[in-house]
Amino acid sequence: MARARDLVKIYGEGDAQVNALAGVSAEFRRGELTAIMGPSGSGKSTFMHCMAALDTPTSGSVEIDGVEIAGLKDKALTRLRRDRIGFVFQSFNLVPTLTAEENITLPLDIAGAKLDKDWYERIIDTVGLRARLRHKPSELSGGQQQRVACARALVSRPAIVFADEPTGNLDSQASAEILSFLRRSVDEFGQTIVMVTHEPSAAAHADRVLFLADGRIVGELLEPTAATVLEQMAAHDPAQRVS
Amino acid sequence: MRRVTMAGIRGHWLRFLLTSLSVLLGVAFVAGTLVLTDSLDRTFTGIFSQANKGTDVYVSGAEGATAIDGTNLRSGLPLTLEAELERLPDVRRAAPELAGSAILVGKDGTAVRNGGAPTLSFSWLDDDPVLEVVDGRAPRGPGEIAVEEGTLQKAGLTVGDRTRVVVGPRVMDVKIVASVRFGALAGTTLVLFDEPTSVNLFAPDGTTAAFQVQGNPGVSQEALVGQVQQVLPPTAEAITGEAKTEKDTATMRQALGFINTFLLVFAGISLVVGGFIIVNTFSMLIAQRTRELALLRAIGAGAGQVVRMVLAEAVAIGLVGGLVGLGAGVGLAAALQAALTSFGLEVSGGLPVSARTVIVSLLLGLVVTVVAAAVPAIRASRIAPIAAMRDDVAMPEKGLRRRALWATALLLLGLAAVAPALRLEGTGSNASQVAVVLLLFAAFAVGAPALARPVIAVVGAPFAALSRSVGRMARGNALRNPRRTAATASALMIGLALVSAVSVLSASATESTKSLVNQLVRADLVLEGGFTGMSDGITDAVRRVGGVKSVAGLRAVPLDVDGAPQLAVGSDAAALADAVDVQMRSGTLDVLDDGKVLVSESLAKDEDLDVGSTLSGVVGSLPDAKLTVGGVFADNPAIGSSMVIPAKLAEQAVPAPQRADMLAYVVLDPGADAAKVRAAVVDAVKPYVVVSVQDRDEFINAQSDQIEQLLMTIYVLLALSVVIAVLGIVNTLALSVFERTREIGLLRAVGLSRSQLRRMITLESVYTALFGAVLGAVLGLGIGVFMQHVLVDEGLTDLVVPTGSLVTVLVLSAIVGIVAAVLPAVRATRLNILKAISVD
Ligand SMILES: Nc1ncnc2c1ncn2[C@@H]1O[C@H](COP(=O)(O)OP(=O)(O)OP(=O)(O)O)[C@@H](O)[C@H]1O
Ligand SMILES: [Mg+2]
Repeated sequence: MARARDLVKIYGEGDAQVNALAGVSAEFRRGELTAIMGPSGSGKSTFMHCMAALDTPTSGSVEIDGVEIAGLKDKALTRLRRDRIGFVFQSFNLVPTLTAEENITLPLDIAGAKLDKDWYERIIDTVGLRARLRHKPSELSGGQQQRVACARALVSRPAIVFADEPTGNLDSQASAEILSFLRRSVDEFGQTIVMVTHEPSAAAHADRVLFLADGRIVGELLEPTAATVLEQMAAHDPAQRVS
Repeated sequence: MRRVTMAGIRGHWLRFLLTSLSVLLGVAFVAGTLVLTDSLDRTFTGIFSQANKGTDVYVSGAEGATAIDGTNLRSGLPLTLEAELERLPDVRRAAPELAGSAILVGKDGTAVRNGGAPTLSFSWLDDDPVLEVVDGRAPRGPGEIAVEEGTLQKAGLTVGDRTRVVVGPRVMDVKIVASVRFGALAGTTLVLFDEPTSVNLFAPDGTTAAFQVQGNPGVSQEALVGQVQQVLPPTAEAITGEAKTEKDTATMRQALGFINTFLLVFAGISLVVGGFIIVNTFSMLIAQRTRELALLRAIGAGAGQVVRMVLAEAVAIGLVGGLVGLGAGVGLAAALQAALTSFGLEVSGGLPVSARTVIVSLLLGLVVTVVAAAVPAIRASRIAPIAAMRDDVAMPEKGLRRRALWATALLLLGLAAVAPALRLEGTGSNASQVAVVLLLFAAFAVGAPALARPVIAVVGAPFAALSRSVGRMARGNALRNPRRTAATASALMIGLALVSAVSVLSASATESTKSLVNQLVRADLVLEGGFTGMSDGITDAVRRVGGVKSVAGLRAVPLDVDGAPQLAVGSDAAALADAVDVQMRSGTLDVLDDGKVLVSESLAKDEDLDVGSTLSGVVGSLPDAKLTVGGVFADNPAIGSSMVIPAKLAEQAVPAPQRADMLAYVVLDPGADAAKVRAAVVDAVKPYVVVSVQDRDEFINAQSDQIEQLLMTIYVLLALSVVIAVLGIVNTLALSVFERTREIGLLRAVGLSRSQLRRMITLESVYTALFGAVLGAVLGLGIGVFMQHVLVDEGLTDLVVPTGSLVTVLVLSAIVGIVAAVLPAVRATRLNILKAISVD
C-alpha cells in the first residue's frame, strides 16, 4: 500500500547539518495499523511528512498506492494528498470558519467529488459526532475536534492515513475514543493507518510498532502489548545505548 | 518598549509601507495644493510687479461691479487728464491705460490663444519700463503692431510678417514691426498698437479707466499720490504702484481660489479614506499581537506603556507618510501645473516648497495617523494579561446589533431631513443639505458591519455556485470579522458613493440641459464667441446676412446689487422673444423696451420681488443704478441668468472695450434655406476667427459636453480615492493571509491546490470590494437623487439614473477586488505547507 526505501532527509549544512532521516525503509500493508515510536527528535514527524507528500526527502523513494512520488510536480502531489492520503495533525486540524460537517467533507468539496452518502454515514456513526455536525470547531472539545479530523482523513477513502500524535493533546478518555476509532476503521473498513505516538498504551492498539532513533529504524514489534512496548523502548533508549 | 516597537515595524515592513501609503496620498493632495498655491502666487506676483513696473501711482475711475474675469469695471476718466497730471511738478510721465482684447491671427489662419487665457492688447510707449524691445521698431498707425515674443512664437510668425488682428468688430490687416519681451505672462497673448490707434480702439469715447503715473527720481510713491490727488475729479482715486500690485495679486488669488477649494475637498476625502485604512490596519495588527501584548502586560507593562508603544508605531507611519507625501505632493503640483497649462494658464512660479507646506504636511500625516490609531491602541491596552494563556485568541465580536440600531436611527434621521426636501423642492439651506449627506454617510459607515452578512450572501451567491467549497470558504473568511471587512470596504464605499452621486447628478444635468434647451430654444443657430465673447460688430454682421430674421445677443453685465445675481443678461425684447421661449409669469417681455428689468420666478420668490419692485446698486460701471422690475419669467437656462436687463442699459453699463455678447441666438426667416443661410453666417463670422456657429443639435450636445468635461476631472480625482481603497484591501488581505498562515497550510495539506487557494483569496477580495461597491452605489444613488430634488430649481429638472455607469462601477469594483488580491494570493501560495502548519 505504501513503501519507503532508503529515505534520507538532511536539514541545514556544515556544522548545523541534521540528519533527520538517515536511511529509512519500511512497508505498510493494507488493513494494518502501524505505530511509530521513538524519542523526541528521532525523525518520526519528518518520516510522516515525507511519506504523506508534505515534504520531499533529500534522497530515497516513497511509493503510495503504487505511485512513486519522487519527481511529481506540486499539482500532482496536491492531488495525491487530496485523493489518496489522509492526514491527522496533533492539533489545529480544522478550518475555523467551517462547521464540523463541512470540515469532514472538505477534501471531497475541494476535489469537487460526490459524497458517498453511506460511507459518510458510517464514518459519522463510528466517530459518534452526529449531534455536533453543525457546530464550528471553536464550539467543540479538543477530543471532538480530533475525531472530526479523523473523520475527514477517512472520508475520501484514502489509500493510507497518517496521524502524527493524534492523541498528543488529549486526556486518556478522549485518547481512548480516538484510538478505538482508528482501530475500528482498520478492522471494519480495512483502512491502512500509520500513527506516531509516545504512549505505550496507544501503541498497544496497533498491529505493529516501528521504533525510530536518530533517523533510523532500530526495531519492530508485532502484536504489541503495553508491556512489550515498554520493554522495547527501554532497549532503544539512547541514554542506555550510549553507555 | 522602543525595541519592541522597532522590531514590530521591521518585522512587517511591507504592511508598514502600505499603511504609510494611505497617509501619503492624503498628504500628497494637501501638499500639492499648497505648492501649487504658492507657485500661482509667485507667478502672478511676478506678472503684476512686471506690469506695474515704473508705475508709481495708479489713477482709476470709480470702481464698478466686478466682472467675471475678476477685474473691476470702472467709470471712465477723460483722456485730457493726462496733460493735467503731467503738469504736476514731480510727475515725469503719465499714460492712459489703453487696453483691451485683441486676437492675433497666426500663420495657420486661426486665433493665437491659450485656452481661457486673456488676449491682451495695450498701447506702445517709448521707453516703456514694462517692456524690453527684442527686435524691430515702434509701431506706427493702425497697420503696424508689436507682438510679445512668446505670442509671436506661438503664432508661428516673425517680425516683418503680415497678418490680421481682430479687435472687437474690426478685422485689421497689420504688419508686425517689433518683438518685445514682457517676462512671464501665464499664457496671456499680447499685441501692442501705437497710442493714437489704441485710443481709437479702446477709448473711442475719449475716456479711459485708468492712468499710470511715473514720478521723478527721488519722489516717494506716497508723496506722489498726495500730489496727484489734487488734480483728480471726485470720482477718481489714486493708489501707489505697490498697492496696485498687491491688489491685482489678491484679485487673482481670489479668482483662482476655486482650484484650492476643489483640491482640498479631495485631500479631505483621501485623508478620511486613509484614516479608515489606518484604523483597520492597527486593529488587525493588535488583534494579531494580542498574545504578545498580553504577555507584556503579564510581565508588568502598564496599560499606558502599551498605548504608547502602539502610538509610537503610528508616529513612525505618520512621519514616513507625511514626508513621502510631501514629495508626492510636489509631483502632483507639477502635474496640476501641466494641466493648468493645457487650459491656457501657464504657471511660471516653479515648485516652491515653503516651510508652511513642510510643516502642514508632516503635522497632517502625524495627526491623522495618531488619531486613527488611538482607538485600536486604547483597545489594546484593555487586553487582559490572561489572554496570553489562551490558545485561541480572538477579539470579542459583539455589538453588531447595537450598530444596526444606531445606523437605522441615523438613517431615519437622514430620511426625516430629506422628506421635506422631497416634498417642497428646493427648500433648505446648503448647510442642511450637507448635514443630510453627512448623516447618510455616517449611517452607512456605522451600519456597514451589520450589513456585511446579508450583502455578501447576495453578492457572493453567484460565485459560491460556481465553486462550492472555495466560494463558501471565501465567504466565511470575508464574514469572519464583519467589522474588519466593513472597515476595509468603507474606503471603497466612500469613493464609489461619490462616483455614483456624481454620475447621477451629471446624467441628470446632461439630460436636463438637453431637454430644457430643446424645449426653450427656438433659435436656428447659436453663435459663441469663446472666452472673450463677441462684440457688437459681429452680431451686426450676422444680422445683415440674407435670410436671418433676428439676432438676440446675451450680454453679460456684472452687478453688485443686493437681491440680484452677480451677472445679469442684457438683451433686446423682440429678438429674445423670437429666439427663446420665455414664459412670463407676470408682466410682459416688452417692458425691457421701457427700461425695466425681468427677474426669474425663483429669484422673485427668494428675494420677494414682484412687478414694481425696485433694486439699486452698481450695474457694470454705473455706480448708482436703479432697476425696476417689470416682469417675472419662468426659470430659463437658455437665458443663463435670473435677471434680464434692457440692451440699452447694458450698453451704458459696460465700457466699449469690454462690451461683448457671450452667446447670440440667430433666428432665420421662415422658409429660408437653413443650410444656405448657415453657410452665409459662417462666412460672415469667419474673419473674427474665434466665433463658432452651431445649429440647435450641435449646441445642445456642446452643452452636455461641457458638463462631461468637468466630470472627467472629478472622476480622475475620485479615482485616487479608489486607489487608496484598493491599498486598503491589499493591506487587509495581506494581514489576514498572514493571520491564517496555519489554516492555509492545513488546507494545502488536505489537498487544496495552489490555484484553488488563489481563487479563494481572490474571491474574498472580490466579496469585500463588491460589498463596498454595493453600499457605495446605494448610498451614492441616494445622495444623487436627494441632490437632484434639491437642485430642481437650479435647472436639474430631470432625474436620470445612469444604470450603465453604475453597473460599470460594480464590475470595475470586482476587478479592483481581483487586482487587490494578486499580491496577497501570491504570498499565500508560496507558503511552505509544513512551515505554515508549525507557525503559532
Ligand atoms: N525544518 C527543520 N530544519 C532543521 N532541522 C529540523 C527541521 N525539522 C526537523 N528538524 C530536525 O530533525 C530532527 C527530527 O525532527 P522530527 O520533528 O522529525 O522529530 P520527531 O521525532 O517528530 O520529534 P518529536 O517527538 O519531538 O515530535 C530533529 O533533530 C529536528 O531538530
Ligand atoms: Mg514530531
